[in-house]
Amino acid sequence: MGKQLIISIGREFGSGGHEIAEMLAERFGLKLYDSNLLDEIASEKNVDGYHFEKYDEVPRNILFSRKVKGFSNSMEENIANMQFDYLQKKAAKGDSFVVVGRCAETMLKAYPALISIFILGDWDHKVERVQRLYHLPLAEAETYILRQDKKRKNYHNYYCNGKWGDSRNYDISINSSKLGEEATADMLEDYIRKCLALRD
Amino acid sequence: MAQILAIVIFVLMFLLIITEVFERHIITMAAGLLTLILVFGIGMHSPDAMLHTLNFQEIFTAGFWYHSGEAAENASGINWATILFIAGMMVMVEGMGHVGFFRWLCMRIAKLVQYKTLPIFITFMIMSSVLSMFIDSITVILFLAAVTVELAQLLKFNPVPMILAEIFCANLGGAATMCGDPPNIIIGTSLGYSFADFISNTGVIVAFALVITIMYFYIVFRKDLCHNRVKDTTAFPDPKEAIKDQKGFVLSCVIFLCAVVLLVTHAQTGLTVATIGVAVAVVTLLAAGKDALELLKKVDYKTLLFFIGLFIVVGGLEETGVLEVIAGFIGKISGGNVKLMIAIIIWGSAVASAFVDNIPFAATMIPVIKSLAATQGVDLTTLAWALSMGTDIGGSATPIGASANVVGTAVAAKEGYPIGWGKYCKELAPITVIVVLFSMVFIFVRYL
Repeated sequence: MGKQLIISIGREFGSGGHEIAEMLAERFGLKLYDSNLLDEIASEKNVDGYHFEKYDEVPRNILFSRKVKGFSNSMEENIANMQFDYLQKKAAKGDSFVVVGRCAETMLKAYPALISIFILGDWDHKVERVQRLYHLPLAEAETYILRQDKKRKNYHNYYCNGKWGDSRNYDISINSSKLGEEATADMLEDYIRKCLALRD
Repeated sequence: MAQILAIVIFVLMFLLIITEVFERHIITMAAGLLTLILVFGIGMHSPDAMLHTLNFQEIFTAGFWYHSGEAAENASGINWATILFIAGMMVMVEGMGHVGFFRWLCMRIAKLVQYKTLPIFITFMIMSSVLSMFIDSITVILFLAAVTVELAQLLKFNPVPMILAEIFCANLGGAATMCGDPPNIIIGTSLGYSFADFISNTGVIVAFALVITIMYFYIVFRKDLCHNRVKDTTAFPDPKEAIKDQKGFVLSCVIFLCAVVLLVTHAQTGLTVATIGVAVAVVTLLAAGKDALELLKKVDYKTLLFFIGLFIVVGGLEETGVLEVIAGFIGKISGGNVKLMIAIIIWGSAVASAFVDNIPFAATMIPVIKSLAATQGVDLTTLAWALSMGTDIGGSATPIGASANVVGTAVAAKEGYPIGWGKYCKELAPITVIVVLFSMVFIFVRYL
């Protein structure tokens, strides 16, 4: 692909946002960055990325970490900053990619190549999907969704001025429950192609 | 009412510092302002107490800059000697970092021990302790940890054990001298102790504790660090490459050595730490020439403001008599038993410092031990050494206990070596307990 294209996808847990991101990455022939970002960073730093996972997309615990002269010993914060730096380096290099979460809509806002998307979903649809995918009873699926979304919201809002899921922060926000994942991806593909055409 | 207001402001300040909702200098300055208005103004109706706490008059006395006889106890309130000394040392340390002194020293030592992992481990522990005796532990650990990661990548070893040991030794070394750690500077300037007083008391404890510490870390980490996987070290960076400005480097070394000599001899020369701080800063700025403004800009004004606000809040507690109540409480539960009193101070300080900033804790405890000494007839110096060892060493137990821990673990994390609470406490909490216990026994044996 000639022109740089960066697609950021924020998502509610259970909305199918990740699946849609995978479809878009495949359709546009782009690399997808999600938790695999940590492996890339680990290999770049020549360290074992296994220890990074538990700190991925987790908000900073203010009681168990401190900041001194701009140095934070919150592993969550350091891992988040490493990911932001990595994404910014890639974007500055002119690379095209799809990124899931990681505050990308804010961190990469300066790049004209960015198209930011937020995927949400109807509550019942999300619960049904999480029950099916994770084999959870109803009550547990509901708790799991609430917990994951709270974590994502706290993580996002700690690093960004704009609020997580607020449609004003994204180019497009869409409810995937109305059309389903496949048709939502079709619609987004169309939207992205039109954006690209307008950029010419 | 003034007492209640002083306590509420102090507790709120502490909670806000812990939660980091705002930067800590903003918190202490706001709390200081509230203390001036609510405690001294509305609660006590005492402009005298306010002026006493602001303590500006101290700066204009000859004794603030030079004292001919025995060191005098400073008045309570803002400890301007501490502020000026820390500011001066900040300028000097910025100058040293600017010319590449710390990186050169680390690389030079690594080369001297022929890049062998275990000798690097031991020499870096000693270097961390010795440098922290004169330079703030944040700067020491910032450079040491960065070089350790660099060497780890070249020599293919895990830098985490070495960084953990360096953090502990930086905190330990800071306890040895009057200028090593902020609590010691505050204790020294508030109680009128000299550099020699510290080195011959806490310094001796630290010397023994350093031997114990090296043995402990050797036993715990030797398996991680005994391999020398890289044989050819000819392509390693030359220490000289670290020096950014040859003339500036020589000048920085001379200024540093002069500062050490002045500090070691300040009881004999009569120069106070405030004078030494100002002199060191002025000479560093003159030597820096056109870079002087850049050095000044790098000075951590936020820390200085943090201290000023903190001293006012603690002054509020002191003027309203809250700290005397605490001292009375410690005296009462110890039942006049000096050993128990020392144990409470050293372990109380250590446990508190493991979780909260040890600077406000030490500043608060100084009037408490002064009151204890006056009312219980206990030797003030013994209590001061217990407070110093407790606050300085206790901070090593957790990743948030002291600034060096935060910076060391942050540098490691940035380079891809996360150190969680579990790993940190597993390695450093036992040696913290050992050294605090050793310090307590030492104080019992030597002073009682």
